[in-house]
Amino acid sequence: MSLLRSSFGPRVADAGVIVGLAVFVTWSIAPIAWLLLSSILPQLSLIDQPPDISFVHWTLDNYITVMGSAATLGRGMLNSFIVAAFTTAVALALGAPAAYALARLSVPRSGAVVLLILATQMLPAIAIAIPLFIVISRLGLIDTRFALIVVYLSFNLPIVIWILRGFFLGVPAGLERAAAVDGAGLIRTFWMIVLPISIPPLCAAAVFAFIESWNEFFFALILTRQNAQTVPLVIAAFAGQYQTVFGQMMAAAVISVAPVILLAILFRNHIVRGFADGMLKG
Amino acid sequence: MITAKLAVVRPDAPSRAPLAGPPVSGTFEQRRRGVGILFVTPALLILAAILGYPILRSLILAMQHVRLASGHMHVHWIGWDNYIDLISDGSFALALRNTILFSLGEVILVTTIGLGAALLLNHRFGRHGILRILLIIPWAIAPVANAVLWKWILNANYGVLNAVLKSLGLIDHYVVWLGQPVRALTLLLLVDVWKSVPFIALLFLAGLQRIPKILYRAAILDGASGWQRFRFVTLPSLRSTITIVVVLQTIWSLRVFDLVFVLTRGGPADGTVLLNFLAYRVTFNFLNIGSGAAIANVIFAMSFVLALLYIWLLQPSRKGTTA
Repeated sequence: MSLLRSSFGPRVADAGVIVGLAVFVTWSIAPIAWLLLSSILPQLSLIDQPPDISFVHWTLDNYITVMGSAATLGRGMLNSFIVAAFTTAVALALGAPAAYALARLSVPRSGAVVLLILATQMLPAIAIAIPLFIVISRLGLIDTRFALIVVYLSFNLPIVIWILRGFFLGVPAGLERAAAVDGAGLIRTFWMIVLPISIPPLCAAAVFAFIESWNEFFFALILTRQNAQTVPLVIAAFAGQYQTVFGQMMAAAVISVAPVILLAILFRNHIVRGFADGMLKG
Repeated sequence: MITAKLAVVRPDAPSRAPLAGPPVSGTFEQRRRGVGILFVTPALLILAAILGYPILRSLILAMQHVRLASGHMHVHWIGWDNYIDLISDGSFALALRNTILFSLGEVILVTTIGLGAALLLNHRFGRHGILRILLIIPWAIAPVANAVLWKWILNANYGVLNAVLKSLGLIDHYVVWLGQPVRALTLLLLVDVWKSVPFIALLFLAGLQRIPKILYRAAILDGASGWQRFRFVTLPSLRSTITIVVVLQTIWSLRVFDLVFVLTRGGPADGTVLLNFLAYRVTFNFLNIGSGAAIANVIFAMSFVLALLYIWLLQPSRKGTTA
């Protein structure tokens, strides 16, 4: 049944598949492995030529130093967490009803609205960055988490609407009809019937939005100075300042990406399915 | 107009006779519409405020000469001059060239490698769950952390790439990977391809798994070879997925910023300045806001055309073609 089993005979093709997979997995994973490995090696091992990776040198010193000395990293993590959590919560609260309305209720020109929301996802950040910077400066909101939370809605809200709309389109109409027969209003039907069965896609959308916000760099760069600095800025600054302390740099990077990588691994199937459905259903 | 319609919404109004069967009643339709508008409006208002307004403002800014003095903005109208100046601007031309090369390379490599990887993953040897866990990691890793990691890997003196290539005998002496414009741009491209491929592969995999198995069985009965099955079953079934991936990846490649900022800052000799980075530099480093907005609008226009293309491509897939 397999596509790649060709006329060369199954054995040759199988060997080809194994080699191909090995190459692909190695190329995808080797940099990550090196990230982890260099974060637990002391500086002396790293600047050896070639690097001395034997496990007798393995140590957590880099992590201990980074967590002890760089208070900015802790603050960055906290800022990133607050910004990502709030913007995700607001995006879900506003996006879920909107997605439901576009999928199941009647909205004037809903086709155009859906396309418009899709199109916002294509918008380059720079196209809105300059005016946003001007307005936010005038309001005195530069270097506040509030500004980031609002600005991040610009890409999170469309993502959430998309992923959830793709799911709501597939909810069997019988459910809603049964609720209507029981006398439930539309809002109650949404709240009591539809939302509870939508937990997996809601999680997928939330994880997607959270990761995008946690990782966002460009707006954070122009809209924050110090107090509201998020973790990507801290890492970028760190890499500029201590660019010769390789092990510590990598330890800081590992700490900064660990939370979202865990989330991504936990929700991987939902993320890919949610994204693919939203993308391809249009 | 919207407020007038909102007046119809009375969600807690005593429910009328429960409806059985398809909703045909006028009042039920009205309620569906009322609640629909109620549900959609907040999200649309927010998007209009944080997207609609800045886009319009950006279009206006690009027509102005903006001078910053003692914390105030002085603007005066200069029409198309900002755009006209770009035409004769060497750094804009270079950034445009870099962007086109980068986007082309990115789309071609990501699509072909992603599709190839998806085919491998769809094979029975590739279905192991652990592979999927590994492949989501490059997608989830922050672009900044990724850039920092590669800065270390590509380090000219202690970088592991040099060490590995030298121990394999592929290079005689260490290479300064980011030291020459063309080489630096190529590596920037490869790093971004590395990060983008796994997720695209997973998307293609989702598409592959939606192809009805019966098509392959029929092809085998007709005596189709492996290549023929790929050419006449897989590729046509994936057509819309592939086109959408191509368009989206192009749009995404126009947005690459973090990588340039951390890895090269546009150097050497502006060899890795992409349009996005140029707009940032002109606006926030050179404080030439009008000109920066003009560059941003060029990127916006390119993305807009691609977005229209995307929407247009999406139409046939709605009519039931396998995605």
